[in-house]
Amino acid sequence: MNNKVRELRGERGWSQGDLADKLDVSRQTVNAIETGKYDPSLPLAFRIAKLFRMTIESIFQPGKD
Amino acid sequence: MTRLSKTQYDLRVFAASSVYVALVIALLPHARHAGDSTLRPIYALVPVLPLLYIVWLLGRRIWQSDELEQRTHLIGLGVASAIVGVFSLIGGFLAVTKAVPQDTAPMLLIWVFPIMLFSYGFVQWWTARHYGGGCDDIDGLPAHYRFIGLALLFGIVALWAWLGKADASAAVVFAGFAGAFALTALVFALRRRRRIGSGEE
Repeated sequence: MNNKVRELRGERGWSQGDLADKLDVSRQTVNAIETGKYDPSLPLAFRIAKLFRMTIESIFQPGKD
Repeated sequence: MTRLSKTQYDLRVFAASSVYVALVIALLPHARHAGDSTLRPIYALVPVLPLLYIVWLLGRRIWQSDELEQRTHLIGLGVASAIVGVFSLIGGFLAVTKAVPQDTAPMLLIWVFPIMLFSYGFVQWWTARHYGGGCDDIDGLPAHYRFIGLALLFGIVALWAWLGKADASAAVVFAGFAGAFALTALVFALRRRRRIGSGEE
């Protein structure tokens, strides 16, 4: 799955640690989501979307597989 | 309950492990030679208390983990359980067929918990690396500090065994572990130094 989390975080000038604190997850998890190594659960995806005031599908798009 | 940082967790586990080693060294010889049989189980079981504290810390850490961390813990514990299960089965067969000396069989049981912790720690670390890892190393104690701690603990036990409280072969085994951990610490320290030098950290 592709996502725009890194881009959206960068626009707001947040570090990975800042975003991790806001989402109540570890920095490792933010890093794994941004690099596409981990797809978040639906509840976490909703928290990310709510934080960025966007819809889930505008942040996460299906990948080639 | 506040979430434990990785460094807090590492330091508490190391402190509990040190207490465990101290209690084993201080109490185990008394357990073997205690005249009063009611004291023997007390001498033998008191060292287990710090291990129970480690189990509680581990449970607390997993409980407070996020979804990705819980996945890495689950994989680590699953693989560790399989390794310990196979190890126990092999030990059981060797003991039943008397392929190992009778007094060696109980020693196999003592190694179950350490092997479980080591394999869990390694697999959890390896799985975290698969997901990008790195952050764990930054948040927690650097890996070479952890291995230096292990080398010190095993070194102390080896010295204790060498000084006559246990047999010489046990001293050699523990010294071997201490040396292996010291070498691993050196490798991790050099890797970290190289990463810092290249600006990756």
